[in-house]
Amino acid sequence: MNNRQARMFAVGSTAIAALVFLILTLDSHRQFPELTHSENITPQVTRGKDVWHKYNCINCHTLFGEGAYYAPDLTKITEHRGDAYLQAYMRDPSQFYDEQTHRRLMPDQDLSEEEITDLIAFLDWVSKVDNQGWPPRPIRVTGGPMQSASRQVSPSGGEKTSAAGTKTSGTTPVTEEDDYRAQGESVFETATPACTSCHSTAPGADMAGPTMAGIVSRARETLKSDDYTGDATDLESYIRESIVAPSAHIVSGGMYSSGGTSFMPSNYEESLTEKEIAQLVAYLATLK
Amino acid sequence: MRYSSQSVAYWYFAVAMVLFGLQLVFGLLSATKYLGPDPLLYILPFDVTKVMHTNLLIVWVLAGFMGASYWMIPEESRSELHSVKLAYIQLVLWTLMGVTAIIGYFFRYGTGNKLLEQPLPHKLVIVLCMLIFLYNIGMTIKKSGRFTTTEGVLVLGLVSSAVLFFPALFHYENYTVSIFYRWWTIHLWVEGVWMMIMGSFLAYLLIRLSGADREVMEKWLYVIVGLVFIAGILGTAHHYYWVGVPQYWLPIGGFFSALEPLALAGMAAYAYAAMRRSGLAHPNTLALHWTIGSAVFSLFGAGLLGLAHTWPAVNKWTHGTLITAMHGHAAFYGAYVMIVLAMITYALPGLTQGRREQGSVMGYWAFWLQIAGMFGMTLSFATAGIGQVYLERIMGMGYLDAQLKIQVHFLMLIATASFFTVGVALFIIDFFRYPPRLSVDEASDQESLNAGAASGQ
Ligand code: HEM
Ligand SMILES: [Fe+2]
Repeated sequence: MNNRQARMFAVGSTAIAALVFLILTLDSHRQFPELTHSENITPQVTRGKDVWHKYNCINCHTLFGEGAYYAPDLTKITEHRGDAYLQAYMRDPSQFYDEQTHRRLMPDQDLSEEEITDLIAFLDWVSKVDNQGWPPRPIRVTGGPMQSASRQVSPSGGEKTSAAGTKTSGTTPVTEEDDYRAQGESVFETATPACTSCHSTAPGADMAGPTMAGIVSRARETLKSDDYTGDATDLESYIRESIVAPSAHIVSGGMYSSGGTSFMPSNYEESLTEKEIAQLVAYLATLK
Repeated sequence: MRYSSQSVAYWYFAVAMVLFGLQLVFGLLSATKYLGPDPLLYILPFDVTKVMHTNLLIVWVLAGFMGASYWMIPEESRSELHSVKLAYIQLVLWTLMGVTAIIGYFFRYGTGNKLLEQPLPHKLVIVLCMLIFLYNIGMTIKKSGRFTTTEGVLVLGLVSSAVLFFPALFHYENYTVSIFYRWWTIHLWVEGVWMMIMGSFLAYLLIRLSGADREVMEKWLYVIVGLVFIAGILGTAHHYYWVGVPQYWLPIGGFFSALEPLALAGMAAYAYAAMRRSGLAHPNTLALHWTIGSAVFSLFGAGLLGLAHTWPAVNKWTHGTLITAMHGHAAFYGAYVMIVLAMITYALPGLTQGRREQGSVMGYWAFWLQIAGMFGMTLSFATAGIGQVYLERIMGMGYLDAQLKIQVHFLMLIATASFFTVGVALFIIDFFRYPPRLSVDEASDQESLNAGAASGQ
């Protein structure tokens, strides 16, 4: 090979690679609207994106795994946390996490109510982008791997599956013949948002919501006490009520609610089938 | 120094040194925040120290590229620079841009768009500086009428860097699209056109230091450039994983970015072969350390550690963890920091008064402390990252709890980063120890040439 041939090699390979790259870029533009649901980029979503940029969020957090590695990934945060929780969190993060415990704390960004709402709309749009099903397992903010670590968790329920339909499989298979409680345990991990993103089943391990360990005895005591504000009469109906109407009775302690409204998402009655709720109740009623 | 206009390089290097020092201050601050708690939470939170850390890096490395080009172009083209005045104007503008951007970040004045945080006025000044720069070296070459392949590759690399900055000037409504074009700038810089710049500096240094045959060196330089682009352009797709682009970018990114280490292995082989064949023809052995070091360390940091997580099936788990920080530090340091330090070390005896060609004891300490320190930092990020991937991504432990479990690696990071910082401090002290030389000093130039001839075998 002489000098001229070497130069031809450099120029030729660069030109071919660049050409292929440009063609694929054009094709990507063709597909962006569908993959990112660009019709849902409302003015509010755009304002939320500006808030995201204005407060430099990306230099601590990641979105789509891109950003800085000092704070948790937020790609699917709106699948893990309800609106009420996110709003309260952004008003004052120090109410939720303790710098002494985690050695890290998000500084209060002093956002206006409108900025908070816009930001959540943006994050919700992000969570629905078809990104090849990443992350392969939910990335949680806190909590230990006590939720059967060998399992892969996936969003559940046909129509509620991630917008792209790229449902990650791998949940420990449960079939119709399985025990109702076993099926309930699966729902506990696969509901959207997954119960496990806020509740553990380990004694004493409260996360964004209280632990489910000991729910049975706690529920019995609550039902007996005068402070109980809901309509349930027995263990099963109490658990069911907590799932479908979280604000019927507010569990005190932690940062679980504000102004009488629980931070737990209130849409499980719609997103889960009646059978799934019954399975969940059966499972939780085993956690003495 | 053969041409008095080469002395502008000294001031570019001086600015680069100061900003390099500052970069590490913010790096160390960021690392201590990983350990936490953070007493500066409301004065200088992590996001601010991190922006300053990465932006100072980009500003000083580019100042280093510019200084090194202003040193190299006159020698290659055998002519004085077209305009020394323009070169100084460019430096002042560049420094002001960099410093005001950093001060602005302190007040959260920035775009908040990763790595492209510079506000629009600053971006426009960047473009202006690039135009002045390209005009100045273009005119120098044109007037001299001598244009070598080595400088041709350099100039093409610089021109393409400027061109690839353009997508960064626009605003994209769709967040996924803005990610798509972010990497046209950042990835195609570091794994494309900057490699041309690095390859050109490497060829220049090897020709000078080893006396290798120019004809042969320039032929292989072309081959390396070809390899860089075959793999690097489509390799951009390794930044397109999981961000909302079509599925086909996954296999394309995996295949082509897995080829990228070829070019880096090529560079290392290139340096090794030049030394073996032609031996040492120049007394500046310290510059030789930096030159070979750069080729080897980038093969490790960019080639090996890049390969480690570039396949989609792996990246699925490591994406967005400290594994990325592991690779980013080693790659950037090996490829771009070390090549700039190599050019500085090579040019410094000519640019300053009273310095030995061979390099000082302090200079060697700086080299080995930095190498050891950066290697240790890479290991710290790697161990922290592996822990994070297993605990958080595979076991499903919450982010905050997983970070608590890997604290010991952050301690190791701070310890090794301190070694590294001492190495850099020594380099900076060694740089400023001797006063700059402002005119061509015939006698000493003759001396160094003789010394060069004497030690060349
Ligand atoms: C001199 C050459 C290189 C430099 C300076 C470099 C630098 C970087 C930096 C700074 C990042 C972090 C970007 C971010 O913050 O998101 C990065 C990411 C990455 N690099 Fe490189 N790199 C180089 C070469 C390579 C090579 C040769 C490969 C593959 C063989 C590679 C594979 C990757 C991958 C896969 C990522 C993305 C990681 C992720 O976000 O999941 N890099 N690189
Ligand atoms: Fe890259």
